[in-house]
Amino acid sequence: MVIDILVNGLVAGGIYAVLAVGFSLIFGVARIVNMAHTAFYMLTAYFIFVGTTMLNIPLVASLILAIILITIIGLICFKLFFDRVKQHETTVMIISVALAMLFQEILFLVFGGHYTGIPPLAKGFVDIASIRVSYQHIFAIVTTGLILLGLWLLLSKTGLGKAIRAVSQDREIANLMGINVNQIFLIVMGISVALAGLAGAVIAPIYMVSPLMWIQPLTIVLASVVLGGLGSVGGCVVGALILGYTEIIVTFLVPGGASLRGAVSMSIMVVVLLVRPEGLFGVAFEEERL
Amino acid sequence: MQLKVDNLTVLYDRAMVLNKVGLVVEEGEMVSLVGPNGAGKTTLLRAVAGLVKWEKESLKGTVGGKITLKGEVEFGRENISRLRAHEIVRRGLVLCPERGRPFREMNVRENLEVGAHLCTDKGAIEESLQKVFQLFPVLEKRQNQISGTISGGERTMLAIGRCLMAQAKFLLIDEPSVGLAPLVKEHLFDRIKDVHGMGITILLTEQDISFAFDLATRHYVLSQGQMMAQGSAEELLADEVVRQSYLGL
Ligand SMILES: Nc1ncnc2c1ncn2[C@@H]1O[C@H](COP(=O)(O)OP(=O)(O)O)[C@@H](O)[C@H]1O
Ligand SMILES: [Mg+2]
Repeated sequence: MVIDILVNGLVAGGIYAVLAVGFSLIFGVARIVNMAHTAFYMLTAYFIFVGTTMLNIPLVASLILAIILITIIGLICFKLFFDRVKQHETTVMIISVALAMLFQEILFLVFGGHYTGIPPLAKGFVDIASIRVSYQHIFAIVTTGLILLGLWLLLSKTGLGKAIRAVSQDREIANLMGINVNQIFLIVMGISVALAGLAGAVIAPIYMVSPLMWIQPLTIVLASVVLGGLGSVGGCVVGALILGYTEIIVTFLVPGGASLRGAVSMSIMVVVLLVRPEGLFGVAFEEERL
Repeated sequence: MQLKVDNLTVLYDRAMVLNKVGLVVEEGEMVSLVGPNGAGKTTLLRAVAGLVKWEKESLKGTVGGKITLKGEVEFGRENISRLRAHEIVRRGLVLCPERGRPFREMNVRENLEVGAHLCTDKGAIEESLQKVFQLFPVLEKRQNQISGTISGGERTMLAIGRCLMAQAKFLLIDEPSVGLAPLVKEHLFDRIKDVHGMGITILLTEQDISFAFDLATRHYVLSQGQMMAQGSAEELLADEVVRQSYLGL
């Protein structure tokens, strides 16, 4: 049981963390609240489904193609729907909700509402302290860990990462230091959607795929982001892990917990925000002009 | 390189902030732009650096975006009025903002590295970094400190250092002395002289008339968006009207 909770919590928390980081990045850098973020994750899962079961493309190739395809689609959506109105933050948010609904409806039309599954990338089990853990779960944990590590290295060690952080902290000064802010927006949108795609690719073989699968992770992502502190990329990882573990613990330990897990997660978020309105790692920004 | 501003006009919505303003700074000069709070000094520097244009574009369709921007800015005989802010930096014309505005969640060293964003040569970056540390030893001591926690004087030095990392040939410095204690002010005064001594042309704005008059050789007087006078300190002080109405001396 303890091992089960540890492993499943890490899978759920890790996926939520990858999703939340992508959401938080584009919000922090371009102030875009992208409610379609997890819809990109859903689309990726469907692309992989189509690739493996309908087109008979090998699984690994399907995964890579799906991530490339979703990144291109994300960038097109950014150019078409977000870029021109991004100074109106509420408009962007509403457009992104509409976009997510659009994707959902298209998937309903094409695939119907039933649940679909994808074969696992790594078949088989390993026994840890006499508990069976599937290779797919281990693969998910290792991959999400590597993704988060890679992102941390990108942001803290590279010139591009510094430019991205500079834009998120003060885009006017970033501009003054020769950084092409609009280009950074585009790059970060690409990274953000690719992260959603990666999360979809990791999760598709574990969870069920359905046209409504974007809604539950979206609420968790929003909760992780405010729990960790708006704009804090590290904070949302912690937020996501807390919420992932909460979900799994409630599911395992509380009778009928599977239907309660969302409520408990949201309660935790509300309580934390009542005590610490800026979130666990949030900083209160004061607006400044030149 | 010479900077030439001609007929520069800026309106925020219907408020005239700059009214057909012109000025010239020759290569190698140190010139000041003085005037009371709200005269339009910051706006002038922002317009030259391409930020007003950027503000206008990025806030299009919002209340803050109703900006009128007219006039020409020439830098080294090239018309830069239509260039974007990040392209102007590339030409060596760099704005150092009021109160420094560091990237507050980055440490001092990272701030300087962002300044070198356009430079791809690692050796050249290291060389500029050593030059900046030589000019401002305190930045070397503070290099791992988060810049949101350094003092006001250090922030201004960091901002000037950041501009040097961007290979500035021409510096626009906005109110370097504002809010600093007398001793820090004096120190900064000497450092700005050093930067000028490195062959960098400087246009700075000031509300502190004596700071500006001691530092620069030529001065422009701006009031309510209009250029009222220009000349050396002696010339301006000899003019009774300028002295009383605009310099308040
Ligand atoms: N973004 C803006 N929107 C509206 N008014 C502005 C804006 N920026 C500056 N102003 C106005 O322009 C005038 C000049 O401001 P500024 O250039 O900051 O003067 P200074 O630097 O000389 O103190 C002020 O009256 C200010 O309120
Ligand atoms: Mg000012």
